[in-house]
Amino acid sequence: MQTQFAPEALGDPHVRELEGILRSCVHCGFCTATCPTYVTQGDERDSPRGRIYLIKDLLETGRKIEAEDVWPIDHCLSCLSCMTTCPSGVDYRRLIDNARVRIEETYRRPLAHRVLRSLLVRLIPSRAAFRAALRLAQLGRLFKPALGAVPVIGPKLDAMLALAPMSLPPPGPAEKPGVYPAASAAGPRRRMALLGGCAEAVLAPHIHKATIRLLNRAGIDIVVAEGEGCCGSLAHHMGVEERALAQARADIDAWTREIEGEGLEAIVVTASGCGATIKDYGYMLRDDPAYVGKAARVADLARDVSEVAAELDLDYKAPRRLAVAYHAACSLQHAQKIVDPPKALLRRAGFDVRSIPEAHLCCGSAGTYNMLQPDIARALRDRKIANIARVKPDVIAAGNIGCIQQIGSAAKTPVVHTVELLDWASGGPAPAGLG
Amino acid sequence: MTEALKPEREADVVEAVLAARHAGTKLDIVGGGSKAGLGRPRAEARRLSSSALSGIVFYAPAEMTLCAGAGATIAAIEAAVAEHGQTLPFEPMRPHALWGAGGEPTLGGMVATNLAGPRRPSAGAVRDGVLGLKLVNGLGEPIRCGGRVMKNVTGLDLVKLNCGAHGTLGVLTEATIKLAPRPETETTLVMAGLGEPKAVEAMTRGLGSPFGVTGAAWLAPGMGRDFSRTLMRIEGFAESIDDRVGRFAALIGEFGEVSRLSGEDSSTLWRSVRDAEFIAEPRDRAVWRVNLAPSRAGSFVAALGATSLAHFLDWGGGLVWVATAASEAAASTVRRAVASAKGHATLMRAPDSLRAAVEVFEPPSALGLTLSRRLKQSFDPDGVLNFGRMYDGV
Amino acid sequence: MSHIAFPRLDETIIARRAAIVGRLAAILPPECLIADESGRRAFETDALTAYRRLPLAVVLPRSTEEVARVLRLCRDEMVNVVPRGAGTSLSGGAIPQEDAVVITLTKMSRILEVNLADRYARVEAGVTNLAISEAVGAEGFFYAPDPSSQLACTIGGNIGMNSGGAHCLKYGVTTNNLLGVRLVTLDGEILDIGGEAMDAPGYDLLGLVCGSEGQLGIVTEAIVRLIPLPEGARPVLFGFDTVEDASQCVAAIIGAGIVPVAMEYMDKLAIRICEDFAHAGYPLDVEAMLIIEVEGSDAEMGAMLARIGAIAKAHNVRTARESMSAMESAQIWKGRKSAFGATGRVADYICMDGTVPTGRLPEALQRTGEICASFGLRVANVFHAGDGNMHPLILYNINDEAERVKAEEAGAAVLEMCVELGGCLTGEHGVGVEKRELMPRQFSDVELKQQKRVRAAFDPDGRLNPAKVFPLGERAA
Repeated sequence: MQTQFAPEALGDPHVRELEGILRSCVHCGFCTATCPTYVTQGDERDSPRGRIYLIKDLLETGRKIEAEDVWPIDHCLSCLSCMTTCPSGVDYRRLIDNARVRIEETYRRPLAHRVLRSLLVRLIPSRAAFRAALRLAQLGRLFKPALGAVPVIGPKLDAMLALAPMSLPPPGPAEKPGVYPAASAAGPRRRMALLGGCAEAVLAPHIHKATIRLLNRAGIDIVVAEGEGCCGSLAHHMGVEERALAQARADIDAWTREIEGEGLEAIVVTASGCGATIKDYGYMLRDDPAYVGKAARVADLARDVSEVAAELDLDYKAPRRLAVAYHAACSLQHAQKIVDPPKALLRRAGFDVRSIPEAHLCCGSAGTYNMLQPDIARALRDRKIANIARVKPDVIAAGNIGCIQQIGSAAKTPVVHTVELLDWASGGPAPAGLG
Repeated sequence: MTEALKPEREADVVEAVLAARHAGTKLDIVGGGSKAGLGRPRAEARRLSSSALSGIVFYAPAEMTLCAGAGATIAAIEAAVAEHGQTLPFEPMRPHALWGAGGEPTLGGMVATNLAGPRRPSAGAVRDGVLGLKLVNGLGEPIRCGGRVMKNVTGLDLVKLNCGAHGTLGVLTEATIKLAPRPETETTLVMAGLGEPKAVEAMTRGLGSPFGVTGAAWLAPGMGRDFSRTLMRIEGFAESIDDRVGRFAALIGEFGEVSRLSGEDSSTLWRSVRDAEFIAEPRDRAVWRVNLAPSRAGSFVAALGATSLAHFLDWGGGLVWVATAASEAAASTVRRAVASAKGHATLMRAPDSLRAAVEVFEPPSALGLTLSRRLKQSFDPDGVLNFGRMYDGV
Repeated sequence: MSHIAFPRLDETIIARRAAIVGRLAAILPPECLIADESGRRAFETDALTAYRRLPLAVVLPRSTEEVARVLRLCRDEMVNVVPRGAGTSLSGGAIPQEDAVVITLTKMSRILEVNLADRYARVEAGVTNLAISEAVGAEGFFYAPDPSSQLACTIGGNIGMNSGGAHCLKYGVTTNNLLGVRLVTLDGEILDIGGEAMDAPGYDLLGLVCGSEGQLGIVTEAIVRLIPLPEGARPVLFGFDTVEDASQCVAAIIGAGIVPVAMEYMDKLAIRICEDFAHAGYPLDVEAMLIIEVEGSDAEMGAMLARIGAIAKAHNVRTARESMSAMESAQIWKGRKSAFGATGRVADYICMDGTVPTGRLPEALQRTGEICASFGLRVANVFHAGDGNMHPLILYNINDEAERVKAEEAGAAVLEMCVELGGCLTGEHGVGVEKRELMPRQFSDVELKQQKRVRAAFDPDGRLNPAKVFPLGERAA
């Protein structure tokens, strides 16, 4: 597309980068076809093409951001399905991330929204705070009608409550840093770090346990690094960039200590949303000379657990030939571009793997999206569940905690993490609900 | 009655139309006059025949395109393109069986009446095969529409508008048509004795299959045989047809025993279907051509009851030819039944008196008629050309 | 300063903007009306992005009745109307102007009825082209016309432009696959043209509306034909060392009585651009490539490919590669169908759309190259060889005003050449605003007046899409 940036503005390399991306868009509209919000709303403003056009206008004119500029950006799930579809290679991710930061820095949201967003960005990344909040939420269920009636953010509080689990498991490996060694084996020890992270650690520590069992079985020692925690995804996707970078630096420091200490072959990530962000650390910290090198090194080592599992020398044999509906998390298929390996792995393990119709469409989880945009999230969830039902699975497998929570909140079929099935197929216990 | 005009060039046509406008008279446009019995009866008008505009203007076999004067006969065109192994894909109906008038069907008449044959569902109607037209409108203006290429969306599609317009918008002087390779061989699968509902089911199965069925018809008992015949045609290259026919026969085998016709036996039979030979006699009957969704053919025929004296199906059930008594009562019944079946019907042949008393073409909605009038006005404000041929006052 | 003019604006309408928006707001829920500037901006252009005009307001109706109410209001207020589908038009067909209301049908996206026995589907106009085929694919059917933008473009837009696509060689274009439409006139009257039966009665209003570029009314529903899926389909890539060999091979195949499902041509530059995106295994060292697809049983495809192969050999084909799997076929087509967008990785471009008789293809390609070279611009050629519908992609820098003017002039010269060679200005993208002033190259004054009279039968004041199709003359700003 034609761009009209002032020449002075183009002196800034950040602006130049964004202008280059905008130039590559030819406004062909292919992206609209695979965008979850466009497909459900039928409104150009709710499409990647419309958002790109809006961002272009904001950047070119530098004008004050108004309310009507904010909601289209807020509606974006950052699923990046558009990037998979785009024939011109538009790096939409950079555009939407930049827009979120600009809104966060220059637009004053209504008070209730500011309070809610502030709560979310502080609460979830801290495992202790999150656990406490979830305990409160279990109580809060009693007050559901009242909370739902709170002006402005009532529906969002409702959505949050609905997502809170019935019971909280005790803390898992993520909260006990240290080495989880493989049974002793000949030769030099293989060593990989495991991201403990935040939400997954609190909600579903059994995923980490399954991962550690699986990798130990293959002769790999797992390290939960001291001082690691939330990878910064949450804050990043809300445009709270400084906080996100601080969290990224903390994790980079934690893993750098291990890398420069006993060494690390890989950093294994079980939540694909986090994996996508960690693999992007090099770009995120490109302006920080103290961290850019370390960040790139960490990014280089980051692997989704399915990537690691695919290369393991293990015998997989599914105890039962279950029909598995494989749900491709957006952060895995679009952001990390890992599409076939998890399915191929599950097939190799002896499961009857079924692709879900409209597999490219997001389930509506998208980090905190299902709390901040409950209506669209619900519509997408229900569409995903209807699509899953069409393939009549015994179990649904996914590679991201958000998807597991989102789909699990309404599906009748058990929802598990891909790694749990692989663990089971290589000698581990049956996942809950499949015993 | 002054003698017929027989222009030999476009300029002659222009002159004739201008003269008629000036004199306030009407023109009755014909090609070879072979379909004179089609449409509302002719008002007092001077006949203008395009039969002298008869040459082939160009024929490009490598592009499968031919352009000829409107007066060129279909026979001459078919002969010319057969030499290069090509044919008119839409199998235009020949009029002799139904109307028995003299005269040779012409290119202009074919375009003006848009009567395609059994291959229509797969190969398109006449209007789908016309790439360009030259005509003289009712203002005496020469108008070119379309061109000589298939992919052409330049401006409004006046080619389509003039196809099937029965000469009411312009005098066609030249037409460019799209040809198709003449199929190397053809085989027709025949099933004897199927009731109509089963026949439609079988034909639906056939037309929904990937085997390239290019003709699907049902003939009632008494139409050449004592028993009903369900016909399905497959055409193509010799090396591929046997395999396809075999597998297709297996697909429809559950409906009954399947026998085969090929070569001249097959093509002769389809020509009879094309030309509605099976309900042409006795000649005092009214003949209707009815279009509807195939799944409604059964209920349509049932609604006609005894009003239908004979009928057969083409286009897998999507085209019903019906013979009735030549009476207003029969016409009403047909119109009512067609409306229930969400289809449309044309009274193809009937005595002048009946065609003057009832609607010949499917009556449009009020808005449809208004638009039709306005369109007629935009081409022929003085109503010079085939005035009243399709609707009263149009 | 733009090269393509727009009509003089009606200042009285613009002055009454608030009142008009108020009246629209009274009959529409908030999510169906866009009045704020930021929201309207999203609709100011389509795929011809060099031209951008902010509309008065944007309406997103959900039903035929809602469309009718809005059109009546617009007629009463004497406001121009610009219908819009997905806004993927390459000829500026959906570009609005400040005194016009955009009516976009993207919220009317339901498939209403699928009737496999009678082989049709009834859909709302906002359904995408591909969605129709996807809905019936499992049952063994598809909707044939496949413009490259089929993923995103709507059937309503297809009907407005009479869209084509690669597979139209065998199956025809939109107008040959359409059984009926529901049309809303500017007076807000609803007309059902055609239906479930073939060959709509009376004047061919269906054929007239198809390709009428939104100037006769707004189509809200369509009944389209469904075709049985073939047993199998297989594309083959043929690489040639010269453009002449490739284009003459096309003519020879048609002349031999073989009608493949599709015959697509790509030149060296286009091949490289598409291969970079799709990684389909296109040959990178040939001057021209044909993608020829045949369909049928394995035996039939084999037989047809043998015949085609022999003809290709007789025309010095250098490389031939047959697709061996469904996935490979999908990649091959993905590359071709993404050609325009993929070109965006390399440069800005305008995509032309002229047709020439297939016999004149070699000459047309030669002269296209010469024309673009004379303007100092590169051109990549991708097109439907089987029906002579060319798509030269003229590369330029959209941020450079002088280059843009040159690109448009080169494009116009190419289209004039197409007409000169016996073809036409536009094969499937429509006239839009892009080719409007070239219409006198193809039609005489008398002929254009006849077309305008036909249009006036539906819209006497010319309020529907006023900037499109017909030369502006004294209406120009």
